[in-house]
Amino acid sequence: MIGSMLSRTATAALLSTMALGAGAAYAETVNIAQNFDPQTLWPNGTTASDNLNAGSAIVESLFWQNPASGEIEPLLATVVEMVSDTEALLTLREGVSFTNGEPMNADAVVHSIEIFMDEEQTPAYARVSDLFESVEKVDDLTVRITLSDTFPAFMLALSQISVVPPSHWNEVGLEAYGQQPIGTGPFVFESWTRDDRLVMSANADYWGDAPDGITELVWRPVPEDAARLAGLQTGEFQIVKDLPVSSIPTLENDDSVSLITVPSYRIYQIGLASQEQHESPLQDVAVRQALNYAVDSQLIIDALFFGRAIPLNGQVLREPQPGYNPDLGDYGYDPERARAMLAEAGYPDGFEIDFKCPSGRYAQDREVCEAVAGMLAEVGVTANLIMLEPGEFLRQLRTMELAPMYFVGLAPQDDPGFQASQYLSEWRYSPIANEEMDELILAGATEADPESRAQIYRDLMALMHEQAPIIFLYGGVDIYGTDARITGLEPRGDGRMFFYNVELEE
Amino acid sequence: MLRYFIRRLVLTIPVAIGILVISFMLTRLSGDPTDLLLPPDATDSAREAFRRNYGLDQPLLTQFGSFVVNAMRGDFGDSLRFHEPAMSLVMDRMGATLELAVAAMALAILIGIPTGVVAAYKRNTPVDISVRGISLLGQAMPSFYLGILSIIVFSVWLGWFPSSGRGTWWHLVLPAITLSFQLVALIARVTRSCMLDVLGQDYIRTARAKGLGESRVVWLHALRNAFIPVLTVLGLQVGFLLGGVVVIETVFSWPGVGRLAVQAIYARDFPVVQAVVLLFAMIFVFVNLIVDLLYAAIDPRIRYS
Repeated sequence: MIGSMLSRTATAALLSTMALGAGAAYAETVNIAQNFDPQTLWPNGTTASDNLNAGSAIVESLFWQNPASGEIEPLLATVVEMVSDTEALLTLREGVSFTNGEPMNADAVVHSIEIFMDEEQTPAYARVSDLFESVEKVDDLTVRITLSDTFPAFMLALSQISVVPPSHWNEVGLEAYGQQPIGTGPFVFESWTRDDRLVMSANADYWGDAPDGITELVWRPVPEDAARLAGLQTGEFQIVKDLPVSSIPTLENDDSVSLITVPSYRIYQIGLASQEQHESPLQDVAVRQALNYAVDSQLIIDALFFGRAIPLNGQVLREPQPGYNPDLGDYGYDPERARAMLAEAGYPDGFEIDFKCPSGRYAQDREVCEAVAGMLAEVGVTANLIMLEPGEFLRQLRTMELAPMYFVGLAPQDDPGFQASQYLSEWRYSPIANEEMDELILAGATEADPESRAQIYRDLMALMHEQAPIIFLYGGVDIYGTDARITGLEPRGDGRMFFYNVELEE
Repeated sequence: MLRYFIRRLVLTIPVAIGILVISFMLTRLSGDPTDLLLPPDATDSAREAFRRNYGLDQPLLTQFGSFVVNAMRGDFGDSLRFHEPAMSLVMDRMGATLELAVAAMALAILIGIPTGVVAAYKRNTPVDISVRGISLLGQAMPSFYLGILSIIVFSVWLGWFPSSGRGTWWHLVLPAITLSFQLVALIARVTRSCMLDVLGQDYIRTARAKGLGESRVVWLHALRNAFIPVLTVLGLQVGFLLGGVVVIETVFSWPGVGRLAVQAIYARDFPVVQAVVLLFAMIFVFVNLIVDLLYAAIDPRIRYS
């Protein structure tokens, strides 16, 4: 094993020397600084992007959602044929092997999907694997998947199934596999000193187009924002993830680095809980609308995010998503109207309300909450700001102890169904119980026709805009910095980075 | 002496048990790891599966019972995040933490003590006043701020040292200096005041009267007598150092126990938090036992029975 790894490394070195000789790409190590050291390199072990970024450089999935096109594109599978609404035939890519020599075939994919379906092993993916009923091998390169119901986000689910070599997996088990994975990806595991550095070398036998000019990836966990920024400026890191908003002006003026800002999937909002059990003035829809007029979300975007955060246009779906409703717009900042509406609803002098906010979970969370509280005070609403440690905040989100009013950033999977289902009456942290909304959410979850489904969500967005279960604040922005010689890096809005089209120029 | 040592060793057992009980209770009070380790929109059945896998669905008393039984066998459970034995995760990182702590302690002794001696000897001169001023500043400045400042100045602007990570001796310089900064200041201040006290004693006058050289008087006769309180402070400051590494390791991405502890606390990784707390507490207890024994070595008047 070590021998074969050495020979691969030697081959990689030889190839890169030849490439240099031919005047092609420049071969070098790329150091990547992320917030955390991965817990596991098996991508289906967690949904944390820092784990997935590193793990999926080695272990590939059936499909991938290309951030450049926004489309779900083939990777280890090439075609999906829907035989019916609940049955799919998957054609696999021919001639691909894992780096230990095992073939990537129907046996490997069936094995991997069975793991994906087992919520004991993949609890973090249970929401997307819920409707998978069974999987079977048809022939060496064809797999049949049976679903228990129509599943519009099926392709998204397929893009999250990592394919592992069955013999090796059975030999070492889930935990050990995550520590030293073997996959089909553009990189091969080399070494890992926990909390310090994770080293991967280029896979010389990679089936696809390997990233140009990169012979080695070194993943470095750097928890301190200022240290990640410093390492980028000193050239210690070539790719840095999750830079603080305050670094934008510094990076804009530095020619040696590139600043990449990515609209995040995370939708920031103030939850306005209105169910029966959460007694407060927010149970009145007019009050909820008034609070939307009272908050100047554009000012928050401009002042706290250097204009880089994304306006929501009064809805929780993002512009590229199906179901985004172009007819909707932001409520707009109108404190006069807010005051008038509050008076009409029976609160001429405003009211007092608890407002819970996490501290240190989201970028600028404390500042945003203070700004919102200040704006609400302008219309007579006294928001008693209660700051919560992130762990406690998440606990209170689950039990809805955050009610009646709280700041939250929700980043479900990139499908309108997952976003919408968070406002279903029975969902544990939904701020609203509205039958009409429920009907649309449930209809969208099982509608197979894309256009009809989009229309359902457009209607839902319009209804939600009017019902105002939240104050629509802004879409988040993720900030990356790279060495200016790196091209082709297009991170996705869920914090994922891929190396398929990345190049390191000389 | 031996009996004293053994008695102190036996006394660490109730301390360890107390620490285990407190850390178990405090971690459980702080929330549920399921909220942090699964996505917020995880299904209820997935949450149950996760809790079942890690025994979090058991009643608290049952959890505590099995924790105590296993802990007595040296098994602190598996990390909820890394799925590895918690104590081995901690021990793997101990080398990096010790390297940093020993370097910081060495700096504190090598710089703090001579500085304090000189300041006392040159009392109320510009040397003394500047030492006092810098010490005050050193003790007042929070170490995370000093750390970030030193990264900006010495890594980004001057390019002298790497900004983060561990590897070469160069990597050790900034974190060790930052960690020791407050300690150097404190040791210098304590040494200065103890030396001032000792330098006024009759036996120092006697030493001078019998014609001993000034440096011999100061560094041997005076310092040895002034050293007991300094040693006490050094022993107690091991606690400060262990607390300090938590901050410094995070600022400088140093792969040690402190950083592991911070992340374990944020993620409610109970077994790791418990292992770190117990280990740090034991280190603190043992270092202070050694300090007590050193008293007798330095001052022959001190005898334990």
